[in-house]
Amino acid sequence: MIFLDAGPSDWVLFFGHFHPVLVHLPVGMLVLAFLMYFFSKEQNEGLRQKSVATIFLWASLSAFISCAMGWALSQTGEYDEDTLFFHQWLGISTGVISAALAYMAKFWSDEKTMMKLFKPVLWVSLVLITITGHLGGNLTHGSDYLTAYLPQPIRGWVGMEARAEAAEDGAIIPKIDNIQQALVYQQLVQPVLKQKCWSCHNADKQKGKLRMDTPEFLMAGGEDGVIIKAGMPLESEMIKRLLMDASEEHHMPPKGKTPFTEDEIAVLQWWVQHGADFKKKVVALPADAKIKTILAKYASGTSATEPYWSPVFKLSISEADEDDMKGLRKLGLLVNPAAKDQAFLEVNAVNAHGLADKELSELSSVQEQIVQLKLGQTKVTDGFMPQIADMPILIQLDLDHTNISDKGMVSLENLKYLESLNLYGTQVSDAAIMSLAKIKSLKRVFLWQSKFTEAGVAKLKKMKPGLTVDFGFKGKWPLEIDTVRVEEKAK
Amino acid sequence: MEKLFKEAIENEAILATRRHFLNTLGTGIGSLALGSALWNCQTSGKPQNSAFKIPPHFGKAKSVIFLHMAGAPSQLELFDYKPVLAKFDGKECPKELIEGKKFAFIRGIPNLLGPKAKFAQHGKSGHWISDHMPHLATQSDKITFLKGMYTDQFNHAPAQLLMHTGSARLGRPSLGSWVSYGLGSENENLPGFMVLASGGKNPDAGKSAWGSGFLPSVYQGVQCRSAGEPVLFIQNPDGVNADIRKASIDAINSVNEETFKEFGDPETVARIAQYEMAYKMQSSVPEVMDISKEPEYIHQLYGTKPGEEAFANNCLLARKMVEQGVRFVQLFDWGWDSHGTSKSGSVDWGLHQKCLETDRAISALLIDLEQRGLLDETLVVWGGEFGRTPMQENREGKTQDYFGRDHHTDAFTMWLAGGGIKPGFSFGETDELGYATVNGKTSIYDLQATILHCLGFNHEEFTFPFQGRNFRLTDVYGKVIKPILA
Repeated sequence: MIFLDAGPSDWVLFFGHFHPVLVHLPVGMLVLAFLMYFFSKEQNEGLRQKSVATIFLWASLSAFISCAMGWALSQTGEYDEDTLFFHQWLGISTGVISAALAYMAKFWSDEKTMMKLFKPVLWVSLVLITITGHLGGNLTHGSDYLTAYLPQPIRGWVGMEARAEAAEDGAIIPKIDNIQQALVYQQLVQPVLKQKCWSCHNADKQKGKLRMDTPEFLMAGGEDGVIIKAGMPLESEMIKRLLMDASEEHHMPPKGKTPFTEDEIAVLQWWVQHGADFKKKVVALPADAKIKTILAKYASGTSATEPYWSPVFKLSISEADEDDMKGLRKLGLLVNPAAKDQAFLEVNAVNAHGLADKELSELSSVQEQIVQLKLGQTKVTDGFMPQIADMPILIQLDLDHTNISDKGMVSLENLKYLESLNLYGTQVSDAAIMSLAKIKSLKRVFLWQSKFTEAGVAKLKKMKPGLTVDFGFKGKWPLEIDTVRVEEKAK
Repeated sequence: MEKLFKEAIENEAILATRRHFLNTLGTGIGSLALGSALWNCQTSGKPQNSAFKIPPHFGKAKSVIFLHMAGAPSQLELFDYKPVLAKFDGKECPKELIEGKKFAFIRGIPNLLGPKAKFAQHGKSGHWISDHMPHLATQSDKITFLKGMYTDQFNHAPAQLLMHTGSARLGRPSLGSWVSYGLGSENENLPGFMVLASGGKNPDAGKSAWGSGFLPSVYQGVQCRSAGEPVLFIQNPDGVNADIRKASIDAINSVNEETFKEFGDPETVARIAQYEMAYKMQSSVPEVMDISKEPEYIHQLYGTKPGEEAFANNCLLARKMVEQGVRFVQLFDWGWDSHGTSKSGSVDWGLHQKCLETDRAISALLIDLEQRGLLDETLVVWGGEFGRTPMQENREGKTQDYFGRDHHTDAFTMWLAGGGIKPGFSFGETDELGYATVNGKTSIYDLQATILHCLGFNHEEFTFPFQGRNFRLTDVYGKVIKPILA
């Protein structure tokens, strides 16, 4: 009795694992024999018969050995019984038919009946090995393995679902329009399990005697018992194995498979924590701050981890002339690509505060390339602003501590990509509100120590709700003087 | 006895005869010469100066201010709120947690120590920040926390070296050196990498924490002092005026140029650049280091007093430097090592003192950078070299007079703000006792990779050839912490 409980011995499993290696021998041999038989010339009849006979003999031998090892592998009990049944018996049949073909080719070579029978049987063996091989593949890799990456147009024609867009880190964040009304299991949990668990825990293959493809099987658990204890995620084997260190033997998914993202684990944990219910909607489960951020990602359909870059960087622009840049550098300006091998230029006057409109007008030679222009503390005036308006891809403009005023702002209204405008310490006042509000792409404006008033800032914020206006620190510290304990220290 | 003695003498003689010595001397020196001729450990012949350089990729940050609280502040009294730990205050630490672990001072089974500060959530981000840092709490929405940091060094010096050079052993270039090597300085009159220390002592790792290692020495951090002469030994000696100084530097440099033509050692070029930089710094450094001309409201904001050697002054200086185009400003503040062996080293009173010295200035720095439009391009990093244990320290197995925590490597908190980093975000989580990270584990290398990423570097491609192979800051480790990128 003890012996039965112990399961298959290591020896059986050891040889069993060689089954996927050896099965390729009969497959290759049978295909080779088939090709030789149908594509050799008529006059080599005798030679062909002899060669084919030898190949069939070896094919049948290797097929029988593969069958034996296959049986050993099946002792793990991880495979779907129906598929396994067909795979097993078709495999054995392939071996038997190969042996028959070897016998026919060797001993019946002169008889006419043999010629009539040989070709059809050869075809049968080919069909058998194809089906057997395919079933074997399904057992090992899952039945959707071959079609998993079927390109989109063809998927549509054959009526398959579109493949979910996987992010770089392997996360699927499908866009869910009304996230609060979404079904937690069906729309958040199941897609993750499907992508990362089902390949080993499905109808065809049950590693650890566990299936995860239906709610019933998921709750039933595997050979080590239940994997989900509703309300106790940290007691639930499914969650525990996701959280443990990747180097641990029981960590899931195993080495080489795509690991879960933290968001995915958090969602599973949240679902188990609140009862592992299969019918509830998102709104019914209490969400903390962390879950709320993840839900927001679903609602927006993108993983919010994608850093933002200005659309400018997707444009292809011509490179600035090297001589023009050299000329500008002679003025003391830093003129450099924003990154290596890029045409986008950053211009900085940190070493040339003395420059005025006249010298700066030379920037027109690189106006198509400038994305960032820092003219803080220079002698630039409103007169130069029309020239800045001719810089089509300008993203950031720093004019702090210059004599710029409201007049100059009018010229900037049509800058298409301007996101950041630094007007700290300038003469710009409330009169520039309209101009600033007209810069469509503007995200941040710095107005500390400008001539703006509190009311003006409030008005600007109201006119352009997405705009961050920095008006300098006006608040009071929570502690006026924090010297109480400092004095205590001195004693 | 005599026999033994004789044997010993004979054995000694076998070890190294004069002939042996000369023999090895010959081949030894020969192979040394061969070694340097074939695979010389010299640097490649690229121009070695601190001029502006182009980053390999687009980077959102142009400069970095790294605020290192030397000694390692307690995350459990500042940012990592653990109410469960409070419940178990005074109870024995579960054996499972400490089995097989090494601590600097904890011996046997220590007791757990609940948080010795009051916590509240702040801002839209809902960050938990303790009452030790009331000012920073107002800046909560600018900060992104890394609560799952870990390290593998539990002593100050190696841990600080690991944090700043990517290796716990001496000899590697520091983060700031890598950055100034890669990006140069925007300001032609100031070095790319400047260092300011406060708290009365340099960090335990010493000057290696801002050394240039095998990078040309022009990239090492220049330490400035907020009180007294800002940089030692660059002012002209009595009786030497600027013209004589300039003439002598020119003469030295022309000799050095001749030497470079003859031997081709890039270190000579570095030396020329250093002389030139030192000359420029004679006027540029006193200017940038002078905070007395800052308006009164700025002093109010930071809590600075000109002429003092204080962390607050250093924060203001850091802002000034970044404003002038310095790439990397490294601040060290000594005195965060709260073991509980003295009152000033306690996690309640002592830690609070350190917070009083720094909290307002750090918050002021964030505000000031932002109102000048600099925070978008400046990455501010705050942290220590490791964390502190959820257990009360029991040095030599004794109960201590003050609340204190030992060095802890498994989990600690750092924060970042500004250039390229999401505002008001938190990444990583520790268990209920704050002992270990349960998700969002980030290593020192991950942090370094992320800092380099924000500046436009791929940490895996950013290398320097030395002794026959390419070295990088993060060695063979590190992954950019993508979830915190803006």
